[in-house]
Amino acid sequence: MANTNILGPARSRVDGPLKVTGRAKYAVEFEIPRCAHAWPVVSTISKGTITAMDTKAAESAPGVLKVLTHQNAPQPTEASGGGGAARSEGIRIEERNPLSDDKVHYAGQFIALVVAQTLEQARYAASLVKVNYAPEAPLLDMAAARKESEKPKKNNDENVQPKKGDVEPALANHILLGVRQTYSTPTETHNPIEMSGIIAAWEGDRKLTVWNATQFVKGVQSILARTYGLDLENVRVICPFVGGAFGCKGALWPHELLAVMAAKAAGVPVKFHLPRREMFTTTGHRTPTVQEISLAATSKGKLQAIKHVSHTAGAFVGDWVESCGARSSAVMYASEAIKVEETVYPLNVAIPTFMRAPGECPGVYALECALDELSYVLSMDPVEVRLANHADDHPLKGVPFSAKHLKEAYQVGAEKFGWSKRNPRPDTMRDGDLKVGWGMATATYPAHKMSAAAKATLFADGRAVVQCATHDLGTGAYTAFTQISSEQLGVPYEKVTFELGKSDFPFGPVAGGSNSTGTVGTAIHDAAQMLHRALAELAVDDAQSPLHRAKVNDIAMIAPGRLGLKKDPNKSDNFTDILKRAGKNAIAVQSKMEEPEEDKKHAFQSWGAHFCEVKIDPLVPRVQVTRVVTVINCGRVVTAKLARSQIIGGVVMGIGMALHEATEYDPKTGMPVNPNLAEYHVPTNADIPEIDVHFVGEPDFAFNPIGARGIGEIGITGIAAAVANAVYHATGKRIRDLPITPDKLL
Amino acid sequence: MNPFTYSRAADWQGAVHDVAADPSAKFLGGGTNLIDLMKMGVEKPDRLIDINRLPLAQVEEMPGSAGIRIGALVRNSDLAEHPLVTSRYPVLSEALLSGASPQLRNLATTAGNLLQRTRCYYFYDPAFPMCNKRQPGSGCGALEGYNRIHAILGQSEQCIATHPSDMCVAMAALDAVVRVQGPKGERTIPFADFHRLPGDTPGVETNLQPNELITAVDLPAIPFATRSHYLKVRDRASYAFALVSVAAALELEGGNIKSARVALGGVAHKPWRATKTEQALIGKKADPETFRAAAEAELAAAKGYKYNSFKIELARRAIIQALSTVAKMA
Repeated sequence: MANTNILGPARSRVDGPLKVTGRAKYAVEFEIPRCAHAWPVVSTISKGTITAMDTKAAESAPGVLKVLTHQNAPQPTEASGGGGAARSEGIRIEERNPLSDDKVHYAGQFIALVVAQTLEQARYAASLVKVNYAPEAPLLDMAAARKESEKPKKNNDENVQPKKGDVEPALANHILLGVRQTYSTPTETHNPIEMSGIIAAWEGDRKLTVWNATQFVKGVQSILARTYGLDLENVRVICPFVGGAFGCKGALWPHELLAVMAAKAAGVPVKFHLPRREMFTTTGHRTPTVQEISLAATSKGKLQAIKHVSHTAGAFVGDWVESCGARSSAVMYASEAIKVEETVYPLNVAIPTFMRAPGECPGVYALECALDELSYVLSMDPVEVRLANHADDHPLKGVPFSAKHLKEAYQVGAEKFGWSKRNPRPDTMRDGDLKVGWGMATATYPAHKMSAAAKATLFADGRAVVQCATHDLGTGAYTAFTQISSEQLGVPYEKVTFELGKSDFPFGPVAGGSNSTGTVGTAIHDAAQMLHRALAELAVDDAQSPLHRAKVNDIAMIAPGRLGLKKDPNKSDNFTDILKRAGKNAIAVQSKMEEPEEDKKHAFQSWGAHFCEVKIDPLVPRVQVTRVVTVINCGRVVTAKLARSQIIGGVVMGIGMALHEATEYDPKTGMPVNPNLAEYHVPTNADIPEIDVHFVGEPDFAFNPIGARGIGEIGITGIAAAVANAVYHATGKRIRDLPITPDKLL
Repeated sequence: MNPFTYSRAADWQGAVHDVAADPSAKFLGGGTNLIDLMKMGVEKPDRLIDINRLPLAQVEEMPGSAGIRIGALVRNSDLAEHPLVTSRYPVLSEALLSGASPQLRNLATTAGNLLQRTRCYYFYDPAFPMCNKRQPGSGCGALEGYNRIHAILGQSEQCIATHPSDMCVAMAALDAVVRVQGPKGERTIPFADFHRLPGDTPGVETNLQPNELITAVDLPAIPFATRSHYLKVRDRASYAFALVSVAAALELEGGNIKSARVALGGVAHKPWRATKTEQALIGKKADPETFRAAAEAELAAAKGYKYNSFKIELARRAIIQALSTVAKMA
C-alpha cells in the first residue's frame, strides 16, 4: 500500500534496549568453545622483500598454537576475485591474498599472524617475531608517483572521465568570469567504534562458519566458498549487529582470510579482532585528493564551463578510483559544457576504498567551494548562483531528475537559518571579539538500486517474521525494515520481527551506496504482495470467506490486516481468519531476486542544502561551528527519528572532514603516525552544535514502490564546503586544503 | 605486552623498598599512560607496584601558610573541582579540566600526570626505527619526519618531543614544589628542576631517582593567583593535546604589572616556565604592546621544523591572548 506521507513515524530503535543493556551481540562477542586468539605482525617498510623471518621464539612462547607466515600459511585453493561494488559475489578491494609471497607493498601489510590461547599470549609472541627485509625505494606521495599514473576510463560501470560539449572555449573567453583553484583533501580513515573482527570456525574441511563484522554477509559467504572450494550452503556468515562501518567493512579484507587460514592451520576456531592501529592500514581509507576546478560563467552567473581535474592515490595490491568529478561536477549543475578528468597515482601505501560518499564527498567539497568563490567574483549571493544553474535535467543524461526538490531545500534552509540577514562582505560579521561567518553548500548523492529478496512469514496469531541477509550498521535498519514490513504486510508494528545479518536468509546486497532501505524495502514490498496473493488464493477457495470465488486479481489489501475486493471493499476478510479457517499455523513466501528495472526516463538523485555558522577568535583562530541547518530531499523518510540521526551523523562526519580528520604518514617509512583515536581527530561533542534537520519533497515512487532514495551518505556531502565557505566569510581567508586547523588561519 | 608481576604496596616505606629492590619495577597509579606504553611495548617493567591504596589522596591547607599540599594520588577530576584549587588557583583547575577526557581525568593521578612520558609518534610506536629515547643512538625520527606536534623551545638534535601535560604547565607557573620519599628519606624538588630538557639523554625525562616515590605537590601561597587563566590552543574543542598552551597569573597595581607568572605547554620537552616573558612584564603597563613584547622576549630563541613552525606565531598570539584575558579580570 503506497504511503504518500514524506515523513514516516518517529520510531525509536527496536534494537535499542538490546544495545543499551549490552545484550546485542557483535561478531567478536560470540562465545565459541575452544576459540583461540590472533595477533598480527605487520611490515615496517613500504616496499621490498622479506629475506628472513625468525619465528622460533614466538613459537615457543607460552600458549602459542601457530605462527603463520608466507612460508607456511595454507593458501586458498583458488585466487578469489572480487568484482564491483554492486556485484552479488562479494567485493575485494585489496586483491592480493595475505601471506601469499615474500613481497611487501605497503607499511602495515600483514606479514605474520600469531595464534595463541589468549589474546595477551598472542600479542606478546607477535613481539618476538624477527623480520629481515631487502627494502626498495617506495613511492609515498602523488608527486613522486606521476610517472606511474593512469587515467582509468571506468570505475566498475561508471564512466569516470565524462564530458559534455567543449569547456575550453568558455574557459579561454575573457568576457566570462571565472574561478581556477586547486583544492585538496587528506587521507581520511573510517574509524567506526567497532573495529573489524572475525571468528572463524571450521567443521572438518568442508564446513565453515564465520561471525564477522561486515557490511555484506552474502558477499563474504560467496568469496569464502569460492576461495576454499566449498558449497555455498556450507559457509555460514553471521553478523546481527555492526558497530559502524562507513565503508571499511564492505569488501572482504585480508584479516578475514587470515582468520580462516589460521583456524584451518591451528585446528581450532580463531578470533581475530583488529587492533585500532591496523584499522588504519588493512581495511582501507579515503584516498587523498588534489582537485583543480575551473569555472566560467556569464555576468549573470550562468555556468558556461565546469572543468574538474582530480588526482587521487591508488595502490599496488588492487584498484581503487575515487571518481571525484564524475559524481559531483558531472551531475550537479546545468553548465553548457562539462569536463571531468581523473588520474590515479599508485603508491606504496595501503589501498584506499569506499568511505561514506566515495567520490561525492571530496568532489562536492571542491566544486561547492569553487562555486562559493565564483559568487564573490560575481557579487551574487551563493544561493542565487546555485539557483541560476539549477539542473532540472541530468546534465549528461539529458533526462529529468525524479522528484527533485532542491529549490525548496534552499528556500527552507535559508529561512530557518536566517540567511537573508547575512552581510555578503567577508570579515564583517562579529559576536563580541569573535569573527562570525555564514556559509552554505549543496549536498547530493545518487539513488542506487540493487537486488534483494525477502522471506515473509505470517502466523495465525497475527505475528509476522520477515528475513533478509541485509545489515544494520548502527543506522537503524532493523527499525526501518520493521516499519516497512508493518506497512507493506499490513501487520501492526509491534507484531513484526525483522531478522537480518545471516547468510542463511534470502539475498541482501552490500550495505553500501545508501541502497539498503530502497533495495530491501522493495523486496519486502514484493514479498508482501506475494503474501497477500497467497492469502487471497486461500480465501477464494474457502466457502466461509466473503471472498469465496472472487478472482485473485480483484483482491488487494484494503486496510491493514484485511483483504478485500478492490471494487467492493465491503467484501473483505481478515488475514488471521483466512489462515485459521484454512487450518494453517503460518504461511510463508519468499520474493524473487530480480535485476532492478532501468528507468531510462528519469535520473534518480537525492539533494540537500547545508547552511552553517562558524565563530573564530581572530588572535587564536580555532574554528567553532556554532549552527547548522540541513535540509534534505531524499524521497520518503521511512522513520523520521532515525533518518534525522543519519543526517546528523553525516553532518558531524563532514564537520570532522572540514576541521579535524587527517591520517598523517611518516615521510620516510610510510607508516601512519597517528593511528589511534587520541591523535586521529574526529569531532567531540564540544565541537558539534545543535544540528537542525528538515526533510522536503515527496516520496519518489518512480524510483521504487517504497518511495525512498536512501539517506546514509547524503548528509556528509557538501558540509565540508559549507564550513570552509563560512570560514572564508568570517575571515576573508580561503583555505583550500583540508582540514582547516588553527595553523592554517594564522 | 611483556609478562610482568603485580603487587600492592601497603605503605610508602614498603613501596620505596620494593621499587629500590627491583630496577625494572614501576609504580602504578592511574595507569592511563603507563599501561598504554606497556601495550605498545615501549615500557617493559617486570613488576608493577600498585600504590593506589597509599593514603595520599588528600588536598590540604599547609599549616602556617595559605599554600596547599596535593597528595600524589589525588585524581585529576577531584583536584580540578577542589574548593581550595578553584578559589585560590583557578589556572590549575582550568588546566586540569582542559586535559584528556572526563574518563581519563577520573583515573589519572597528580603524580602520574607529572611522570607521563613526552608525546611523540616516533617514541610511542616501536615500529619506527629511530628514537633516541627508546634506543639511544638510533637517531630522532621526528627531526625530519612528521613533526607538527613537536618542540620549538629547549629541544636538542637528539629529541624534539613535547611534554603533553596541562596540569604541569599551571604548576610550573605556580612555583610548585614536588615532595618525594626515597631510601634516604624525604626531599623536595622545585618544579622547574623536576622535568629535564632532552640534551644528550632524552630517555631521562625527570630528576626523580628510580627508587623515589612522589608523595605530594605543594603549591605556595600566591595571593594574586586568583587572577589567573589557562589558555589551551588545540585542533578541536576537547580531548586533544595542546598545540600551544599558556598558564598566566598577573599581579596588577594601578594598571602596572607588579608580579607575573607565565608558563607554556606544547612547546618543549618540559612544562616551559617563560621567565623572559615574566621579566619583560614586571613594572610595565598591562597593555597589548607590553604583552606582545613579553611574548617576543621568550620566543626569540624558538626554532621550528618543517611542520611545526606555526607554533612560534601561535605561541606569540596565545601569550598575548592569555595575558589580555588575565588583565581584564576583575
